Amino acid sequence: MRQRRLRIVAATAVAALIALAGCSSNNGNSGGSGGSGGPAEITFWQSQFEPYQQKWFKTYVDKFNASQTDVKVKYQVVPGDTWQQKLKAAQAAGTQPDVATTNYGGIPAGVANGQFAELDKLLPGKAWSDIKSNVGGFVQVDGKHYAYPMLVEPSTVLYYRTDLVKAAGLDPNAPPKTWDELLTWAEKLTKGKVKGMSIASVATDLGWSSWGLQYNACGHLPINDDWSAANAKDPCYTKLFEFYQTLFQKGWIPQQPKVGYPDATPYGQGQVAMMANGSWAVGQLKQTFPAMIKNTAVAPFPSVDGDPSKPTATLGGWTLTVDAKSKHKEAAAKFIEYLLAGDPAIMADFFRQSGFSKYTVRTSVDQALAGDPAATADPFMKIISDKVVATGKAEPAYPFDISLAFATAIESVMKGKSDIPTATQKASDAIDRVIKQQRLKGTAPKG
Amino acid sequence: MNRSWYAPRRLLSYLLVAGIAVTALFPLAWMAISGFKGQDEVLRSPFQFFPDVWRIDNYRLILADPAFVRAMVITFVGAVIFTVASLVVNSMAAYAFARLDFAGKRLWWLVCITPMFVPAMAILLTSFVVVSKLGMLDTLAVLIIPGVAASAQMFFLRQFYLNMPAAVEEAALIDGATRWQIFLQIFVPQSLGPFVVVGIASFLGYWNSYVWPVLVVSNPDLTQIMQYLATFRSARGNEWGMLMAGSTLAALPTILLVLIFQRYIVNGVRLAGLK
Amino acid sequence: MIDTPAQPTAQAGAATDPGRTSRRRRRRPTKITEQVPRHLRAHLTAYLMITPMVVLLGIFVIWPLVYAFYLSFFEMSFYKDAEFVGFDFYKYVLTDPEFYESLLVGLKLALMVVPTILVLALLLASFLATLSKRMAAFMKTTVYVPAVVSSVVAAIIFVFIYQDEGFANWFIGLFGQGPLAWLNTASTALPAVAVPAIWLGFGVSTLIMLAGILDIPESYFESARLDGANFWQRTRYITIPSLRNVILFLLVSGLTLTIQEFQLPLVMTNGGPVNATNTPNLYIFNSFRDATPYATSYSLTAALLLFLVIGTISLVIFRVVSSEKSSDA
Repeated sequence: MRQRRLRIVAATAVAALIALAGCSSNNGNSGGSGGSGGPAEITFWQSQFEPYQQKWFKTYVDKFNASQTDVKVKYQVVPGDTWQQKLKAAQAAGTQPDVATTNYGGIPAGVANGQFAELDKLLPGKAWSDIKSNVGGFVQVDGKHYAYPMLVEPSTVLYYRTDLVKAAGLDPNAPPKTWDELLTWAEKLTKGKVKGMSIASVATDLGWSSWGLQYNACGHLPINDDWSAANAKDPCYTKLFEFYQTLFQKGWIPQQPKVGYPDATPYGQGQVAMMANGSWAVGQLKQTFPAMIKNTAVAPFPSVDGDPSKPTATLGGWTLTVDAKSKHKEAAAKFIEYLLAGDPAIMADFFRQSGFSKYTVRTSVDQALAGDPAATADPFMKIISDKVVATGKAEPAYPFDISLAFATAIESVMKGKSDIPTATQKASDAIDRVIKQQRLKGTAPKG
Repeated sequence: MNRSWYAPRRLLSYLLVAGIAVTALFPLAWMAISGFKGQDEVLRSPFQFFPDVWRIDNYRLILADPAFVRAMVITFVGAVIFTVASLVVNSMAAYAFARLDFAGKRLWWLVCITPMFVPAMAILLTSFVVVSKLGMLDTLAVLIIPGVAASAQMFFLRQFYLNMPAAVEEAALIDGATRWQIFLQIFVPQSLGPFVVVGIASFLGYWNSYVWPVLVVSNPDLTQIMQYLATFRSARGNEWGMLMAGSTLAALPTILLVLIFQRYIVNGVRLAGLK
Repeated sequence: MIDTPAQPTAQAGAATDPGRTSRRRRRRPTKITEQVPRHLRAHLTAYLMITPMVVLLGIFVIWPLVYAFYLSFFEMSFYKDAEFVGFDFYKYVLTDPEFYESLLVGLKLALMVVPTILVLALLLASFLATLSKRMAAFMKTTVYVPAVVSSVVAAIIFVFIYQDEGFANWFIGLFGQGPLAWLNTASTALPAVAVPAIWLGFGVSTLIMLAGILDIPESYFESARLDGANFWQRTRYITIPSLRNVILFLLVSGLTLTIQEFQLPLVMTNGGPVNATNTPNLYIFNSFRDATPYATSYSLTAALLLFLVIGTISLVIFRVVSSEKSSDA
């Protein structure tokens, strides 16, 4: 008796589970295809960034949905740390979004994989001609456009505390021009618990944040132009290694950073007197540490030999891409056109929200911002725009493994694990391995 | 057990309790208190335990956010179903593997224990393809069902069942009881302690899962609590005050659950009496 | 010699053995009862009992695993035809020195974390078993509390503890040492990551141990006490042997989880200094970063190889621990 009853309980539990799977799956699929007659429903995934970005996207997605009846955008924020996992899983199952945020560095590889829809015919000609010439190449492969750019943000800018600089007997109006001068500043500004500056010190951060300085030191990245062989042992990198090594080993940067390179918190809390960080840090300072703004100045990151025309930063940034397998490419393009390429006021609002910590890629948005007193009065915008963005290079399109191999060499030298020749030899071997295994030879994008 | 303590020993015992309590509770306390701090205060150096000014904004904002309440409720419901279902499925299999002999037992054991060693990364893409093909995306079921059968849990319960004296079973068999009766009327009631421990672990596992919900759920109504908390995180500066307040609130149900159920982790009476 | 519960275990094995021998006699007509023979019923019952588990695991783990192995022989593209590459990716992973380094890091971490948790949990659980009811209730909840703190928050708390003016440096300062850059020194970084891992894991392990200890018949302890055995002797000759099954579980599951530790090093050190805390899953995570088909296939293959490594180690543990059991019986 008892036994039967309990067996029934067990059976019911299993049945309930199956029922749960069954009925809820019906609900789940209802929103899938647009069907006939109704608006084309497209999904849009945005990689999660600063809170104001999510707010801006949400506002304008809602406005777009309300403004017309042909296209309905389903907007979803995806946390950055799970982006690749979610996107690849979805691609494997064929449930990937129609529109997604893609960074510049990911475009060439994605095009090679056939992942993105070509956009030239989907967006009007004036949308393309509005893009500034130095960025135009970032979204093209073999002369065709595969993404519409949203913004650029230089990866490396020098921030410094004018009050501390003055107190140390240095001139805040004459920021360091060479790496040697910067080291002198870092030394003089290291006082007690306040370190001279903050900069990346772990390979995964160094990997991308040092690209600009790699260009600065050598005029090239640690690989041949046609990606046929590593070029990491070039002696011109010695200065770069020694620069990072001196900062770390002399104790002029925090020995145990609490946060990663892109987070400006240590500077905001006054634990360092200078900071190497991307332009986005302006936004964080304005939002979280507003008291710090009046004592903060920015300058282009110093150059190895003081030549200000050499690049010190790469221009990272985001674009929107349309999936090659999307069933609603036109609808997707319509949304992109509205959001990124249409009314300049929409993007101008974005840059205002960002505290002018990111830079437009469109001439018309520049003009819209020129009439905005908040933009013209911003103390940092002009310097970063004129002196950093202007010399900035595109992010390399090669696999991150190569960047990581070279960054591991930098970190090894910084932390005294190996000397420069050993470290660069190891990096060189690793890069050659990547070239061979990933068959990179001759695949370098032109231009 | 003999509890005739003499004074110094009792004092030592209290000191030990206090020491362990401080070590175990300090970080939770810090997390809860950091929830009262401003955005720029949490990471401040040198370390500061209390906020400059006690602010309740973070807690108030989160509690007033319907998305938070929804996430807590839906995660709780999911976790309860998940825990019950996995106790049923895993304890049955555990009993079979511990106490029954059947054809192909070694093979089935291998099938059931191997999943314990599979890193999530190895089957991330393919299991997503499976649930997507089954039409399970964006349902409560996809959050619950794929994890219900858990090798580690089954293994754990089996280890306890192995310890049960065979005499009990033999006596019951002689009395004409079936295996189901033995399992349900002897083994299950006798292993409340292990059930509670493993149930708490399952509940917590469900409660804290993050990557899987991000992959399979996009409907805001199904957003899980860890997904909700992730909205305060970003490589470019976390909203620490909110994250700490949210994590504290999210930890409360799990702590409450242990408070309620810990009393079942007690001395089993059966073995002493039955020997 | 004191009566150990290893015997019940052995008896349990013996009790099920007749089922095995009777299988040979299956063809003989059994006219004693009209019921289905007991051993056959046990077969049916057993299958019914494992069916839900086998089916669920089959769909959601085994099949995806088989499918993943199949995919690992291709360079996976979700947009073009996947290219069959045979064992290429296995070769790539197995010739990458960083893969081995990361395995070593994972193993070292497990060697620091798992035994420490076992010892701590055993001592703590023995202690908890002696407490009064109310005190035990408080402690059972207290030791569990760390487990509810998410590993991200725990990681941040410990980053503070290791800061230049943090608790760790204050502590070694008492002995005239330091200060150390705990998280950025090759020799201290991994132990520094192990501490929060222990802190997060010991609560549940203690409860498991406690459940195991409370499972031991009190008569064992009482007779030991009468024989004049002290705490260490009782632990050595009664508690540990009785807990063998529980310890085997904690060993295998602790190892499996710790080798795969990911969140703590990600937040605390990001794998540094120079890969000293680059656990296998962190390595796999980083190789997954690129959007290329290569990156997808490579990280998948590395994860499958990690599976083989963990499985092999666990198999060895199973062999070692259960062979002890048979020699005892």
